[in-house]
Amino acid sequence: MSNMAVCVAVIAKENYPLFIKTTPTDNELQFYYTVHTSLDVVEEKISSVGKNANDLRELYLGLLYPTEDYKVYGYVTNTKVKFVVVVESSNTSLRDNEIRTMFKRLHGAYVDMLSNPFYNPGENIVSRKFENVVMGMMKQD
Amino acid sequence: MSRQAARTGDPRKVNGELFTLTYGALVAQLMKDYENDDEVNKQLEKMGYNIGVRIIEDFLARANSGRCNDFRDVADVISKVAFKMYLGITPVVSNWSPAGDEFSLLLENNPLTDFVELPEGHDSLNYSNILCGVLKGALEMIQMDVDVKFVQDHLKGDNITEVRLKFIKRLEDAVPVGED
Amino acid sequence: MADEVPFEFLHMELVAHIHNTSTKEENDTCIAKLESLGYRVGLSLIERFTKDCSRFKDELDMMKFICKDFWNLVYKKQIDNLRTNHQGVYVLQDNKFRFLTQLSNGKQYMEAAPKYLAFPCGLIRGALCSLGINCIVTAEVSAMPACKFQIQIQRL
Repeated sequence: MSNMAVCVAVIAKENYPLFIKTTPTDNELQFYYTVHTSLDVVEEKISSVGKNANDLRELYLGLLYPTEDYKVYGYVTNTKVKFVVVVESSNTSLRDNEIRTMFKRLHGAYVDMLSNPFYNPGENIVSRKFENVVMGMMKQD
Repeated sequence: MSRQAARTGDPRKVNGELFTLTYGALVAQLMKDYENDDEVNKQLEKMGYNIGVRIIEDFLARANSGRCNDFRDVADVISKVAFKMYLGITPVVSNWSPAGDEFSLLLENNPLTDFVELPEGHDSLNYSNILCGVLKGALEMIQMDVDVKFVQDHLKGDNITEVRLKFIKRLEDAVPVGED
Repeated sequence: MADEVPFEFLHMELVAHIHNTSTKEENDTCIAKLESLGYRVGLSLIERFTKDCSRFKDELDMMKFICKDFWNLVYKKQIDNLRTNHQGVYVLQDNKFRFLTQLSNGKQYMEAAPKYLAFPCGLIRGALCSLGINCIVTAEVSAMPACKFQIQIQRL
């Protein structure tokens, strides 16, 4: 099972973060910035969907953009919740299918988390179960 | 027929989710309305009781389970018929008292608590307390005064969820005490 | 497999509890409380129901989903009739609404009907809002057990 993400983020429909987890690093802020920047690309991708008759209209958006060190992938649910996963560029063995699977698991975990009656939608996600799923996808040092 | 319907799941399973989610919303609301967990537990039991005194008729009409001769029969019917019919689970009947007037229902999984993560600081909340009320109310309608309470709860970190039923006395031609 | 009876009993007791514990408050507050409980449940349900769907095209696509798939999953049938004025108002007609079939037919029970429709209105509103459609949902009963849900889209 893939555990190669260096950053996983969940962004609310209103475009603020509900959850961000990064591998331990001195430069956490950089990841926050990367995630923030990726939202513009997400918006672009969603608004261009549907203009092309052949569009699959998948929830998975694929690679949003590469930076020098990282590759940023995105996924948007029908309820406009965004998931962003960042992996290292040097990780060439990671296949597209594996990334899709990561997002599916993330989506499933989010749905379960939302079903917790003690979670108030729009709040920061503090669920331990959710965090465990995310940790399972992250690069272990 | 919509192409999406095939992928969104079994309607019967979804009914379970509607029930679980509604129950969760109720508990969360009660916790906002009442000061402490004990009060919430009491409200849940009361609501359960009101459900129990009515659902027994539905049960008797559909279950066709015959007359219960003693408390052991009752235990079997509760676990193998009632729980199975309404919640889709079959708790294990165990821990009988020597006098045969007390037993436990062991629930390995509890549909009421799917996806639930209790917030900190609510150790005395019996999340599924409605079940105690339902059992008490239903049994009262068949002339049994039974005490029902949770003794273990996997939501609180216990290995299993255990409900203890204790037979108090037989009710003769009794009218249920105060239906609110 | 879970049975639908537990939910029906739970819903009826929920309505009774909310009304019994608000003697001083207006009926409206009770309706609002039930509606907001429905709203929260609607949010969770729609998230789960749409998890494996492809992305919705537009508002009409979403309304159709509600009328067919969502209704089917929650109420075991589809909406019988959908009308719209193409200006942001949709009317969904259900000729045999599940929540009302337990209440006896007859004019005197019609007064009680709004109490039992508050939660379902919330369910719909929660589902639609989650999909990005802000709206107000109301329901009316003209002849049991048929009822109409009116959805007023709120454009900002």
